[in-house]
Amino acid sequence: MIAVAAAFEQSFALPGELAAATKATIGKSLRRPSGLTQLALVGALACLPPEKRALPTALLWQTASGARAETAVLLEEARGAGEPMPYDFLATQPAIAVATLMPWLPGLAVATHWPQPTTDTAAWGPLLALAIQGLAGGRYAQVLCAHLDTWDDVAHGRWLLLTTDAENPLAGVRLAEQGGPAHLADTPELPGRLRHWLTENASETARIRMPAGYRQQVEFVRLANV
Amino acid sequence: MKQAGRPVYIAGHGLACARGLTAAEAADAIWAGDTRCPIKRVGEREFPYFSMPLPEAGWAARAEAAVQAVRHQLPALPPETPLFVASSSFQIGEFEETGGELPLACGVFIRRLADWLQLSGPAHAVANACISGFSAMADAANLIAAGLIDDALVLGCELGNLSTLCGFASMGLLSQTSVRPFAADRDGLILGEAVAAVHLTAQPGRWRLAGTAVGLDGHSPTGPDPEGGPIAGVMHECLIAAGWRAGEVGLVKLQAAGSPGSDLAEARALTRVFGAALPPLLSLKPWIGHTLGASGVAELSALLALLDADRLPATPTGVPDDEISAKFPVDRSNVRIDRALLNLIGFGGGLASVALERAA
Repeated sequence: MIAVAAAFEQSFALPGELAAATKATIGKSLRRPSGLTQLALVGALACLPPEKRALPTALLWQTASGARAETAVLLEEARGAGEPMPYDFLATQPAIAVATLMPWLPGLAVATHWPQPTTDTAAWGPLLALAIQGLAGGRYAQVLCAHLDTWDDVAHGRWLLLTTDAENPLAGVRLAEQGGPAHLADTPELPGRLRHWLTENASETARIRMPAGYRQQVEFVRLANV
Repeated sequence: MKQAGRPVYIAGHGLACARGLTAAEAADAIWAGDTRCPIKRVGEREFPYFSMPLPEAGWAARAEAAVQAVRHQLPALPPETPLFVASSSFQIGEFEETGGELPLACGVFIRRLADWLQLSGPAHAVANACISGFSAMADAANLIAAGLIDDALVLGCELGNLSTLCGFASMGLLSQTSVRPFAADRDGLILGEAVAAVHLTAQPGRWRLAGTAVGLDGHSPTGPDPEGGPIAGVMHECLIAAGWRAGEVGLVKLQAAGSPGSDLAEARALTRVFGAALPPLLSLKPWIGHTLGASGVAELSALLALLDADRLPATPTGVPDDEISAKFPVDRSNVRIDRALLNLIGFGGGLASVALERAA
């Protein structure tokens, strides 16, 4: 059974709280980390206890903000007469976050990053479909799915952890033929609303509204019904 | 493990790059050995840069012209076809030019690309630095194989901008002369711009995407493990996904960008995978440059145009490197290639390989 093993949201006031949370998580400060790198590190390690961090893991993450503040700095430098500082360029590249994560997540085998075209919609549906496929095929033991944003004064990390061997699963998750009612809009806050559905709603399953043209839906299933 | 689900085919492709505004034109120029490259100034220094030969002035006009050039090479697509955009810089060049405020959502440019392509279905962006193109193809192919979607257009889009050029220059990654893959005197990359697309489908076609593999190399944010172990691991995984043995590969299209570290790591990976029985090798970067997030799709499109004409170009290189036993063919040849393995090695530790097979 593929299960949701964790669903949570984190928020940090910027700049202080995120840097402090990073230091508290790994025991030291990172050298010139981008906000997205810190969010990824703090959230991924919150999802996975130490004994799970060497298992084959995929990280599928999305962002609306991107490295916005860092890109503004780079643009300013590129408009100037000289060349930008190397660290300022690296900070604009979200893919770099993965290299920073790997010493703490040695099982990280694959990462993909999907920038989002709007702030109020997300791509949890397609990313969870890819996660289910990867887990069903046996390539990974666990998949971290995330929506990470760093805005001017606040950073948000929203996380779902999917595994095939959850000790205390929250819900089952699977692909279902398109056609049933979609209870969960695909927005950045999906993990919080999934938790709300689990505690407040009586329906046996909840589906994510998938993009037009997709022939299957991602369906969460209460454990009693798996 | 072997790729599961439905087979994934290539229904069409298109390319606009420094060597021409169609894949066929680019293939002709590559076959003719045209490696000319204009120069761009960055601060006090000058670097070669493979610009597209577009008459339009202005970033947005050039972007739209390149996308339209690619669109016209593709078969007609249903408007609801899902779009996967691979890029590392999106529209940053436009902000350099206009000085405008950055948008709230960093991926908003894909909406404009979808409009230019006359697509109204789902649009996704994939940004995994230099492996973005193969990452997007792998994601789209996995969704097709699983039956979630039937078709996808994967668009690689990397358009001229100073921020990326300055960033690479500041890290000392650029050559100021030429791309010399696997040469002893190789001294860095030359960047380029390209827009390219590949239409993936569940419907049988002439070429099949037999397998994909993506992976990570945590050695350093800017370079792979010099021993090539992780690169070999991803190549091996791709062969398994395709159901091929190493000896069945007819060609390897390398990353081989002329980077001192990455070239050596990739050469060692080749030895790990193929031993002494290396298939013919090819790097396309001496002709079109390193087109970063677009490189996977751009190089696939150029390669398809070459292979459809049974053309295997001889990669321009330089003084042989004693540490690299892998060599490029010295002469171009007309040879039929049925199976090719394509590699990308990216910034931030991304690795990707794609297995391409002639289906009919």
